[in-house]
Amino acid sequence: MAVHEKGILNRSYFVAGCMFVFGVAVVFKLLSIQLVQGDKYRALAEKRAVKNVVIPANRGNVYADDGSLLATSVPKYNIAIDAVTSSTKIFEANIKSLCDSLANYLGKPSAYYQKAIRKARANGNQYYLLVRDINYTDYLRFRSFPLLKLGANKGGLIVNQQTKREFPMGEIAQRSIGYERFDEDGHVTRAGIDGAFGVKYLRGTDGRRWKQKIGKGEWKPITDFNQVEPKDGYDVYTTINVNIQDIAHHSLLGQLQFYEAEHGCVVVMDVKTGEVKAISNLAKTSQGNYYEKRNYAVWESHEPGSTFKVMALMAALEDKVVDTAAVVDTKKGVKRFYGRNIFDSHHGGYGKISVARALEVSSNIGLATIIDENYSKEPEKFIKRIKSWNLHKSLGVSIMGEGEPDVPEPGDKKWSKNALPSMAYGYNLSLTPLQTLTFYNAIANNGEMVKPRFIKAVKEFDKEIEVFDKEIINGKICSDKTLSEIKEILKNVVERGTGSRLYSPDFSMAGKTGTAQTEYWMEDWKENKRYVSSFAGYFPAEDPKYSCIVVIHKPSIKKGYYGADVSGPVFKRIAQKIFTDTPIIDEVQSLEVKNALTEKEHDNFYQTANMYKTIMPNVVGMPAMDALALLENMDVKVKVKLDGAGVVKKQSIDKDTKLKFNQLVVLKAS
Amino acid sequence: MVRETNKYFKFDWITIVLFLLLVGFGWLNILSASHTGETINYFDFSQPYGKQLIFIFFTFALIVVLLAIDAKFYERFSSIIYIIALLSLVGLFIFGKNVNGATSWYGIGGMTLQPSEFAKAATALAVAKFVSDLNTDIKRFKDQLKVLLILFIPAFLVLLQNDTGSTLVYAAFIFVLYREGLPKYYLTISIIIVLLSVLSLKFGVTTTSIIAFIGILAFYFLNKKHTSIIQSIITLICCVLVSFGVKFFYQNVLQPHQQDRISLWLRLEKDPAKLKRMKQTFAYNLNESEKAISSGGLTGRGFLEGTRTTGKFVPEQHTDYIFSTVGEEWGFLGSSFVVILFVLLILRVLHLAELQKSQFSRVYGYSVAAIIFMHFFINIGMVMGLIPTIGIPLPMFSYGGSGLWAFTILLFIFIKLDSNRINEW
Repeated sequence: MAVHEKGILNRSYFVAGCMFVFGVAVVFKLLSIQLVQGDKYRALAEKRAVKNVVIPANRGNVYADDGSLLATSVPKYNIAIDAVTSSTKIFEANIKSLCDSLANYLGKPSAYYQKAIRKARANGNQYYLLVRDINYTDYLRFRSFPLLKLGANKGGLIVNQQTKREFPMGEIAQRSIGYERFDEDGHVTRAGIDGAFGVKYLRGTDGRRWKQKIGKGEWKPITDFNQVEPKDGYDVYTTINVNIQDIAHHSLLGQLQFYEAEHGCVVVMDVKTGEVKAISNLAKTSQGNYYEKRNYAVWESHEPGSTFKVMALMAALEDKVVDTAAVVDTKKGVKRFYGRNIFDSHHGGYGKISVARALEVSSNIGLATIIDENYSKEPEKFIKRIKSWNLHKSLGVSIMGEGEPDVPEPGDKKWSKNALPSMAYGYNLSLTPLQTLTFYNAIANNGEMVKPRFIKAVKEFDKEIEVFDKEIINGKICSDKTLSEIKEILKNVVERGTGSRLYSPDFSMAGKTGTAQTEYWMEDWKENKRYVSSFAGYFPAEDPKYSCIVVIHKPSIKKGYYGADVSGPVFKRIAQKIFTDTPIIDEVQSLEVKNALTEKEHDNFYQTANMYKTIMPNVVGMPAMDALALLENMDVKVKVKLDGAGVVKKQSIDKDTKLKFNQLVVLKAS
Repeated sequence: MVRETNKYFKFDWITIVLFLLLVGFGWLNILSASHTGETINYFDFSQPYGKQLIFIFFTFALIVVLLAIDAKFYERFSSIIYIIALLSLVGLFIFGKNVNGATSWYGIGGMTLQPSEFAKAATALAVAKFVSDLNTDIKRFKDQLKVLLILFIPAFLVLLQNDTGSTLVYAAFIFVLYREGLPKYYLTISIIIVLLSVLSLKFGVTTTSIIAFIGILAFYFLNKKHTSIIQSIITLICCVLVSFGVKFFYQNVLQPHQQDRISLWLRLEKDPAKLKRMKQTFAYNLNESEKAISSGGLTGRGFLEGTRTTGKFVPEQHTDYIFSTVGEEWGFLGSSFVVILFVLLILRVLHLAELQKSQFSRVYGYSVAAIIFMHFFINIGMVMGLIPTIGIPLPMFSYGGSGLWAFTILLFIFIKLDSNRINEW
């Protein structure tokens, strides 16, 4: 019995032992696959095998003030097939009809695709690319093809979407329209309107999707739906006017090229509302071409030079320390202030002239004398007046990277006895071109200082998300008396002062030239003189509609450097164009260097745009966006339907056909 | 004698706690494997985790019923229960609902029931009843045949429904019978045949024959007194025959998909292109589940954080491949915890079985342990690639009402029997 009992006990121990041993074996196996294999190896395997891919949301569009497109994101799709995933039954049932559809769409014979896909299937290829960079309409078509319509798991459909940002206007205002760019390390560069409103409005919310690695850099979506659907960004409606922008851009470009200047900018602002109608910033590349590099108008805070004399004199007038008829002695072109000579550009000087005349001829000595005589005992008063116009503070515009102005005051490091007379003619302080323009705009706007605005509204389709209204910085910068006096002087600057070369009997404008020395503190200045030429003003002089500033840095002094010569013509051309509406583009184009491909496309666009106003142009071969912009900006309102993206292949209305109001034009593009 | 004085303590609470831990932890993993969005509505009954919650709820009701029934009932009605189970299996051929190509389900209303799950418990009762009969002597060949028949009928019916996993579970009864006195050589021969099969497939007939020869030679010299040369030669011939037979069976009888599974398991396939294709097709699940487990590391990626789990990489993860969720999200610690829970539960049941005074209860207890073990063995083995791919749920853990209730019935009948042992004799 004892032996029997022992035998039974052994047997139960054996059974329990077997089961226990298996448990231990499992734990050991777990130990080996979960721990021993190593974190590094595992992380690598994990990284390779699967990732949660971000699907960027479609960035919103940027529109001009009349609704034409400035920047848009176009989704492009790559379609591939996982040749292995579908069952033999499904594959065989659909392969022929799929290849027929492909042949119909892509052009090669059906047998070609069948052979290729069958080969891919035999080789176990899980990513056979069918087509690249197609648009949404075509993508929908592909989705409905036999086999592919069964989705990712049964049919093997693989869709990759990427978004491309396109600028239908080309490089015009590109910098101001801006962009958002990420480098490899994930650092972001944001510029212009796109950059400023990117995060808040344009960007949208990215979607997410799991993807699985299937071989050499190829990732296959695991499901045919997205784990998180992307939410598209809002559209931003800017204040930019395409026509004014175009004139401003080309005028500036021509002038920069002629004067071989280093860089320059131009801003046109609507007087009443502060809407920026055009903004262009161009800088020279090492090859001598110009492109939109930095937003100088917003960013570059520099010594304004003579354009600041207006502020100085207005301070004196408003403080009633002088009146315009008072006489100021400008001597013979040289006057000593606190051990330092101040010169006038006019050789021999102006002698005794009225205060108003001093500004008209832009006398440094005249302005320095007026300010020094009246404020040297209490410079704080002058500074206080300048500050009352907010010139010591940045404007807080929506575009990022606004430059900080610098207005010194007594007690500052920069302050000296000479600070006050220097400031009188625009040195020893710095402002951005946009600040100067804002001030001139206030003069034009009867003393109401409005903040420059770049966007009007933010919309989601037709729904307004946010509307931006006029913002007033200072309701009345000075008395009406001072205003009318200064307006008269600014008008006279063009009629008989430093800007007289700009005068045209056809239209009126008012403004102030500026020719400031720059980098004069550097040793080589004497041998290589450098200037900043500017012109700020508004037009028409009597009832101002637009204000404008042109600043051009370091023109070639062999060709000229005076504000009236270098910057003034840009101003004049803009004013002239807006007034007379004569095509001025041809004239400007002659100055352009037509080398870049974009440039060429651009010329093509504008030539066509100016030739055809009511008859159908030939848009075949033109980028679809250009064609769209062209047709939408014709004198006859037509409805344009764009089918596809890329280059226009076909137009429904023949070239040279007279267009009717609300006629439908269908463009086929690929 | 605490069990006599307090009616609540007469049940084995250790087993019950282990059971509840497995069910609870199982549900958390089902939630991980089946939730689809960022927000989880626990009572979304269209989702597996929501449904499982209902199943668990009914489980408690079932437990109350099972424990309320008189212990004697199970022994007395075991034959009838067994016959009902068989009928339900046969009925599938007529009334069965086709799900995923297999007719293993009855559709009742919106629910499906899988009778093969319940048949295991019924068979355990029948075996217990038969073996514990005073007239049965398991050492007798006639009675061995009878037991085999009791096991064979349900196993065969289940096999006809293409449920290989459940069929294999019936092999677990060899442990039960062994414990009850089945001659040693049955187990020995079984083990030798399994060994020979693996060796033949992996290394070929020649190598296997040489290994068998060396083994027999060594055995002969160690046990000279009890073995004759003739016996040894016959054994060797049998071994060689078995080896040939296995090879033949593998090459000519098994279907290609079964061959593939075995060849992948034993790493017979050397062609990388074919291996790659295997990993994309039938071995896809295994491949993904192995990767998921290995990505878990020591502590795992955290609850609801497993990339493969939330990314739905492992098909059927909430059912047969639930252990890969544990591996990925709870890591080595979590998966070891599950393994330990199972080992503890099985050993606890074996321990209680040994304590039984009635042979019926003991045999039944052993059957319970063996069935749970077999499920655990096949499932975990499969998920981790230790054995070829055979679909079977992880007891108490995997998603599914039939499975959960079948194991509840299996286990709680034993808990009831165990609570009653004091009243016997």
